[in-house]
Amino acid sequence: MDIMEFKDVKSTPDIIHTYPSSIKNNSTPLVVDNGSYLSRVGWSVNETPLLQFKNLIAKPRKERLKKDNVEIVQVPQLQIGNDIVNIETMRFQLKTQFDRNVVTHFEAQEHLFDYMFTHLGIDTENSVNHPLVLTEALLNPNTSRQLMSELLFECYGVPGVAYGVDALFSHHFARPKPLENALIINLGYQTCHVIPVINNKTLFENTRRLNIGGWSVITFLHRILQLKYPAHTASITLSRAEELLHTICAIAVDYKEELMKWTNTDYYEGNIKKIQLPYSAGTNALTLEQQKERKRELARRLTEINARKREERLAEDQEKLRQLLEVQDLVEFGGEKEEIEHILGEFELKSVQDLQKALTNLNLRIEKTKQKILAASNIEEAEEPPVKQAKYSKMVFENDTALHSFLDNVKKMRQEIITRKLVRKQRKQDIFKRRTAAGQERMRIISQLARKEKGNDDFGLRDEDWDIYKTISKDGGDSDSDAENEKLLEFEEILRTHEPSQFEEGANLVEMHQLHIGIERYRAPELIFKPYMSGSPEAGLSEIIGYVLSLCKPEEQLKLAENVIITGGLANLPGLRERVLKDLISIRPFQSDVRVSVMENSALTAWYGAREFAKRDDFEKYLLTKKLYEDIGHEYFKEHVASNLYFPTPKEVMIDVDS
Amino acid sequence: MSVEEQKTEQKLVFKSSSLQFQSANKKKCVWKGLKQIISSEKALPWPDNCVHYGSINAPPSFKPPEKFSDLSGLPAPYTDPQTRLRFANKDEYATIIELPMDITAGYLTLRGATSIVG
Repeated sequence: MDIMEFKDVKSTPDIIHTYPSSIKNNSTPLVVDNGSYLSRVGWSVNETPLLQFKNLIAKPRKERLKKDNVEIVQVPQLQIGNDIVNIETMRFQLKTQFDRNVVTHFEAQEHLFDYMFTHLGIDTENSVNHPLVLTEALLNPNTSRQLMSELLFECYGVPGVAYGVDALFSHHFARPKPLENALIINLGYQTCHVIPVINNKTLFENTRRLNIGGWSVITFLHRILQLKYPAHTASITLSRAEELLHTICAIAVDYKEELMKWTNTDYYEGNIKKIQLPYSAGTNALTLEQQKERKRELARRLTEINARKREERLAEDQEKLRQLLEVQDLVEFGGEKEEIEHILGEFELKSVQDLQKALTNLNLRIEKTKQKILAASNIEEAEEPPVKQAKYSKMVFENDTALHSFLDNVKKMRQEIITRKLVRKQRKQDIFKRRTAAGQERMRIISQLARKEKGNDDFGLRDEDWDIYKTISKDGGDSDSDAENEKLLEFEEILRTHEPSQFEEGANLVEMHQLHIGIERYRAPELIFKPYMSGSPEAGLSEIIGYVLSLCKPEEQLKLAENVIITGGLANLPGLRERVLKDLISIRPFQSDVRVSVMENSALTAWYGAREFAKRDDFEKYLLTKKLYEDIGHEYFKEHVASNLYFPTPKEVMIDVDS
Repeated sequence: MSVEEQKTEQKLVFKSSSLQFQSANKKKCVWKGLKQIISSEKALPWPDNCVHYGSINAPPSFKPPEKFSDLSGLPAPYTDPQTRLRFANKDEYATIIELPMDITAGYLTLRGATSIVG
């Protein structure tokens, strides 16, 4: 079984693309799939989207420097989309324009449009001279669309925009010849949709939305792993959970059966995924040899420093001695008195006698230092003092059997202490639970003690009487004694010296930092089918499919079941198609036709579909132009086959409170 | 106006200055959340044939939820009366009684079983 490791993919900041004149002058449509997870942006002439970035902005906290009167506010650089290189470090500062799958926060949306247009290299003044194809949520509320149009027309001056639903774009345009009838299952980041389409018309009234998506699955997986490995809470991050979802998670075709398989140890051993968390070997992981080496190194460095210091001191003293000798010469050969006094003053000496004293002192010191240096070099050559012996050095045994019998004995004694401790703990727990034998016995004794019988109370005559209080005390008689604990440690120490393999800490450290992921691989994505696993009252995906079918007429049901299409970011999960097919067959009439297909490259189909839409000859017809926006109203948009329906927001009825 | 906003205005030539959400709402503008939008939408007198965001929510589940072990995810026939955690076998029970409070609480919140009644 090989052990996997996290890749921890970091996003690389996008380059600023060139703005070709062919695109600039032809006002080529710009296709934007504005998903709640990723934003995909490209020109309608591109093969693949030029930009793909997470719809996120990170606002680092403001750092105020208010030392002086003038408060300098350093506005930190806003990080947008792929600028956020390591998402985990910014986790708490992240913001998105989405609330569930609907854009509500338009300040953030503006930042993201800025990012988008800047990185496309657009340089026309005061306007973005390209019509936009923009995806939006199914049944996007008018308020949200109105604000979006306002932003696009008035801030960026786009000539026109066509709104459409991502899943419908995928269905109608991403493939060459889509059937007229389809049941689209779109698995998004925030929500999943089940959309029936009959004769190329979306049945909005029969559509249902499940408010669970990739995000929910990721957070669910994240949390179960954190709870399973409380020691690694910090290193199990959301982005790692996301990586796991994309690499090893799968959908069980039959969840119950899958679970049963995992109860078999052989299956468990064979299918478990081991993932190594990064770890750093702590100080305790050092082997004895390394520790010794380190100590030796330290000692060597210390002696070196000392030696250098001594050398320096020696040189200094010798220099001073030389100077003082010069002064002495001067005194002896009878220099001028004033001059001598002046020089002596410089050396902080009062008289000629002091000079003599200083000279002898200095000579002594030099002699001492020299001796020390000599001694130090001798020591260095000599063997360093023997390392303190470990407390329990290996005892010498005559043969292996003796050693084994000794070890077995130690092990047995150790086990005895451990069991005694366990028993004690168990009793302590039992005593405080009702309805256990220990608890009832205790209560019986207490009530007996409390009973007062006049005349013949001879309690306490014998010393043993008092022991009864020990048995009913909290510890239940005896508690873990220090002596026992010491003994246990001693035994463990002995075992460690003789059988290091069992107590090997280095190997344990590696294994301690491994995540074993078994059932979780299936348990997390199962959330889509069983939202109650996270406490949601909503029906699961299969149930919703059945419900949506039941809303349609029987002949429509037939047509829909014949063409079930799965798309969206999660559609790639292994086993999804088989699972949906199986669940669908179980609810459809016997031997009726059921076909399920998963779209290829399902995460990008919405963008491809929108691009094909923008390439159509009649594209202009569906464009909401600035003129229409101003004439009809800010919330208006043009309907087409892949769009939402337009219902003008009714005027609010004024309720007269007074009447 | 802060320094950064001036910068962005200078930098991004394609923006017209007539409307900008960021500078127009320099004081922290509170954007309506989705819930608010839906509820205010609901209050309006829509025509009968109209479908909106709030009306396509998934129906509640009609099947009784199955019980799975909180620890392992296996089908769980038992519930520990003290922690309210579900478990599949006695090994798991042995783990459960050792678990600290924060972990048991974490499992319960994950399952959404924190209400006292349920």
